[in-house]
Amino acid sequence: MTEYFGTTVADIFATMPKRFKPEEAKDVDTVIGYEATGEGGGKWKATIKHGTLKVETVEGELTGCKTTVHTDAETMVGVTLGKIGAIDALSSQKLRVAGDPKFLMLLLPKIFIPYAAPQKKPATVTARAIITTIAERFRQEKAAGVTMAIGYDLAGEGGGQWTIEIRDGKCAVREGLADPLTVKMTMEADVYTGMMLGTLEAVTAFTSGKVRIDGDMMAAGATAKFFRKYEVPGAKEAEELLCLRVTNAIEQRFATGPVMGRWFAGLREKKFLANRCPECGRTQIPPREICAFCHVRVHEFVEVGPKGVVTHFDIVYFASPDPLTGAVRDTPYATVYVVLDGATEREAVTMDLKKEDIPRLKEGARVRPVWAEVTTGSYRDLIGFELDM
Amino acid sequence: MTTQRVAICAVAQHRNDPDLWHKRFQGMLLDVLEDLQTQTGFTFDEETGVNTIVSCSDDFFDARTISNNGVADVLGAQYRGEEKMAQEGLNALGYAQAVILSGHAGLVLVMGHCKESQAESRNAITNLGFDPFYGRAVGLDYLNAAALQARAYMKKANLTEGHLAGIVVRARQCAARNPYANAREIIAAGKVMSSPLLCDPIRELHAYPVSDGAVGMLLASEERAREFTDRPVWLTGFANCMDSYFLGDRDLTANFALKQAAGRAYRKAGIADPRKEIDLVEVMDAYAHQQPLWLEGLGFCGDGEGARFLDEGGPGKYRVNLSGGMLAGNPLVIAGLYRAAEAVLQLRGEAGERQVPDVRRALAHSTAGPAGQFHSVAILEK
Amino acid sequence: MKMHVKNRNVAVIGIGQTSLSSHKEDQNQVEMVQEAVINTLDDAGLKIDDIDCIVHGNMELFEMQFAPDLWHSLGTGACGKDEYRITTGGTTGATLVCAADNLVASGLYDTVLAIGMEKLQEGNTTGGITNMADPLWFRNLQTGALTGTTAQEMIDEFGEERAKRAAMRYRIMMDKHAMLNPRAHRRFGLEYSQMEDLMANSPPLVGELRLIHMCSQSDGAAAMIFTSEEKVKRGTKHPPVWVRDHIQVHREETIPNLFGFNKPEMTHRCAARTLFARNGIQNPVEYFDVFEMYDPSAWWAVDWLREFLLLSGDEHLRMLEAGEFDLDGRLPINPSGGVIASNPIGATAMLRPAEAALQIRGDAGGHQIQKEVRHALASGFGGTFWTALMILEKDLEWQEVNHD
Repeated sequence: MTEYFGTTVADIFATMPKRFKPEEAKDVDTVIGYEATGEGGGKWKATIKHGTLKVETVEGELTGCKTTVHTDAETMVGVTLGKIGAIDALSSQKLRVAGDPKFLMLLLPKIFIPYAAPQKKPATVTARAIITTIAERFRQEKAAGVTMAIGYDLAGEGGGQWTIEIRDGKCAVREGLADPLTVKMTMEADVYTGMMLGTLEAVTAFTSGKVRIDGDMMAAGATAKFFRKYEVPGAKEAEELLCLRVTNAIEQRFATGPVMGRWFAGLREKKFLANRCPECGRTQIPPREICAFCHVRVHEFVEVGPKGVVTHFDIVYFASPDPLTGAVRDTPYATVYVVLDGATEREAVTMDLKKEDIPRLKEGARVRPVWAEVTTGSYRDLIGFELDM
Repeated sequence: MTTQRVAICAVAQHRNDPDLWHKRFQGMLLDVLEDLQTQTGFTFDEETGVNTIVSCSDDFFDARTISNNGVADVLGAQYRGEEKMAQEGLNALGYAQAVILSGHAGLVLVMGHCKESQAESRNAITNLGFDPFYGRAVGLDYLNAAALQARAYMKKANLTEGHLAGIVVRARQCAARNPYANAREIIAAGKVMSSPLLCDPIRELHAYPVSDGAVGMLLASEERAREFTDRPVWLTGFANCMDSYFLGDRDLTANFALKQAAGRAYRKAGIADPRKEIDLVEVMDAYAHQQPLWLEGLGFCGDGEGARFLDEGGPGKYRVNLSGGMLAGNPLVIAGLYRAAEAVLQLRGEAGERQVPDVRRALAHSTAGPAGQFHSVAILEK
Repeated sequence: MKMHVKNRNVAVIGIGQTSLSSHKEDQNQVEMVQEAVINTLDDAGLKIDDIDCIVHGNMELFEMQFAPDLWHSLGTGACGKDEYRITTGGTTGATLVCAADNLVASGLYDTVLAIGMEKLQEGNTTGGITNMADPLWFRNLQTGALTGTTAQEMIDEFGEERAKRAAMRYRIMMDKHAMLNPRAHRRFGLEYSQMEDLMANSPPLVGELRLIHMCSQSDGAAAMIFTSEEKVKRGTKHPPVWVRDHIQVHREETIPNLFGFNKPEMTHRCAARTLFARNGIQNPVEYFDVFEMYDPSAWWAVDWLREFLLLSGDEHLRMLEAGEFDLDGRLPINPSGGVIASNPIGATAMLRPAEAALQIRGDAGGHQIQKEVRHALASGFGGTFWTALMILEKDLEWQEVNHD
């Protein structure tokens, strides 16, 4: 099976049932089709209904799916593992979704434990490999004037018998146990390996009787300092990246000042109070202390609207999640730019349009405000606009 | 023709207040702008007026990304150039000087605003100035950093509670004569010494009160200054300097950055001995111990001689902080601009009850960062 | 209009960037800043001791770091030096270039290093952008930062088919440039043959503004070194690039009054006509050899070409359709791939003059324009439709132009 990023497309679907979280999917009723083209690809269908999941491979056409994901095998694995950004894949059209992609992006992380590529077991290191290379790690400067023959009798797989000879600032390893030996150490081969790799404390091994010492105890203890630490060839030290997640919140008390204060007072009366520049006459909405063009203080308030004309509008399909709650608005929603009756021609105000009116929305349409039932003098007083038909 | 000197033609200060709940920034700045326009008659005409603005405010204190965008209309930035100093306001003067001397503009409007009362805690803000992994997590903020510095400096300079109280008492006496100051109530030393500890050894009355304010200045090239004032104040030297970041890497009492900034500013202004050549000093003393400490860095007081300096009446002699200083209450982000404003008024003979005679040259200082990591020095002359 | 006279001439002598990524998790902010600083010092053949002053900028609410220049000083090398911090929203990077130019031209400093950075993944980007709006009113309206109004205006003016094709042609052209730029962040390998498919199938975000049209965000930093003419004369590692002039045009925070019955002049056109007039540039299309334009979306980019180049009617579309903005065209636009390809907000507006300077130097590498580049234009965008615009030159000869 062709591998991408260390795993296969098939494994993603094979592991789907055990990654499924039925309690999160109680209200879900959908069928999702997947098509991965290219080597290692295939077609699958996932049927999720009332907290149960059925995953099946599909030979022919993918039918009966509410949403279908089309991509190539490599992108399928890459996006699933997070090695390829989903947004990038969508933008470059390597990943296409027939149906609502946002639905999938919200649903899948909710009902499935994220897929992780299966861990590969690292290649094992033998005692033989370590001891036969010990001369490479010899620290000549630490062994000045030392003469020693150290015997290792290692039982079990990967073990054997060796003698390490240190003499005249040189070190040599020979198979077999020499005679005489300064000291002989007897242990299981994997005890030796554990101590050399640092997974087993030498002192513990000695004390617990896992290592038997015959001969010069002090010499046995001294051997460690004659050699540099063994490093598994090709292994890189895995760097752990620290990640600190904190939400910083500092409460604020914003002043409205007298000008915006009037605006809010107007909203409480279900009125739009703009203020009018004494020089150019533009109706600023919301009202502002100064006219930016004329650089003069603006004193005069004037009521505009309540109805007006839509000059521009936006139909929004993609809503950014709320920074604090993560909640996402229902889409599509429409934002209208409205020049209220009596306002000067450029000074538009912007607000949401009632959802039901979106199909009939056109530039030039007349709208009226939708007020909250109880107005208190806050931004919540104006719910939005609706078509005035 | 290239410009030689830069003048401050006018300054306008909004009164510092513990809580300007009834005004927002736009209103505060408009008051300041109208004051400047009344004094100088400047306009925003494309050819002859201001088309370059240097603003000063902070995103955290304003709780607003691009904090200058909300006030662009008041500052006159409509179809004009505007740059925001995202640093303490005195640096806006230094930068505005560069803008004019570069030939890019002949007139620059400097406008700064800040409300410390808006956020629930200014310490919560300054805590976010420390690195996220260590300083912030340990709970450092500018108050306790200053307290570490205060403890070290009090030992080095032999300062007692009595000295600190004396600084605060004098600050209030000066502030009482300053209609722009925040805390103007005359208090006795005993009250200072018994005020509750904020962060040992800093007591509540050793620390500057929470303040809201705004300051504006009109700067002009030498060619144009006389169009707007007959009493220009010349900015003859400006420099700033950065110290190391981690508190443990610094000697908090050694004034490394301030000495460098002062040295560069003095060189530019041709000053050899500040004690003889500067007639008035305004230092940004957020905490009482910082008044003598910064004066050491500026060369008015010998290193470690704070106690003796105070005992011998140094602050009075050198006309230090006749405005009441930051101890009387200015918001962190523009306290240096308030220092410069006072210096300008004194140089022009417009300092009212605070006015002292023979002020030809004055120094305005500001600092930023924990325990004074960053300092700015401006030399102003008649 | 009176000609601008600088006190001293200022040149760019060092340009450095970090790599760009959506998740630079192996570096903290300081390390990222330092990488850009070291790269630009290397490029200039200078040491940090040669720098007199540092200018720093970013939008700190994105990283939630108060007064970040204080921490970043560990990477900028500002310790012991003068330092300024200037921020102007999305135009920050360009403003830093203007500021460095002012600082050196003033004579107060000789060699200034400017650094712009952003590490968006460390904060909440949506939160950062939402916080730009007035907390009293606009912030609470929950209208997004994206708008499709320009697309609709162009469709109304030129017809749906032509307008959509123009935006898509621009987008693909940008990707083709990005494919030649190994430092660009997002590179898709798009082909013109995909135009119809993308026009129909790229997921719509707002109106006709589709995912493919929109820039995304990157983490990264850029730095540049500026010095005086005197220092340049003593020798530089790379040919100097002269900063001729710059302008910044801001406007009030209110945005809806750009979408009433008619539109006021945009800051782009105001900046362009003012800057060109005072520099005696009658015909920008003729004059400039490259334009690195800050293009947050393909729709805005096409619209703004008309504004910046002082064109009218459908002149800009005809030029686009005839390939005149291609890398080998009459006036190449964004050989780097532009903002659509790479957007580390605090640095993005600096990358525009940086890339323009590389073109003048002949150093851009894979995306180098083959014809000689002597006159470059670079723009920045941000805030509430603010513009920064600057002119870079290969030689000092513009100084001969007479005053009005």
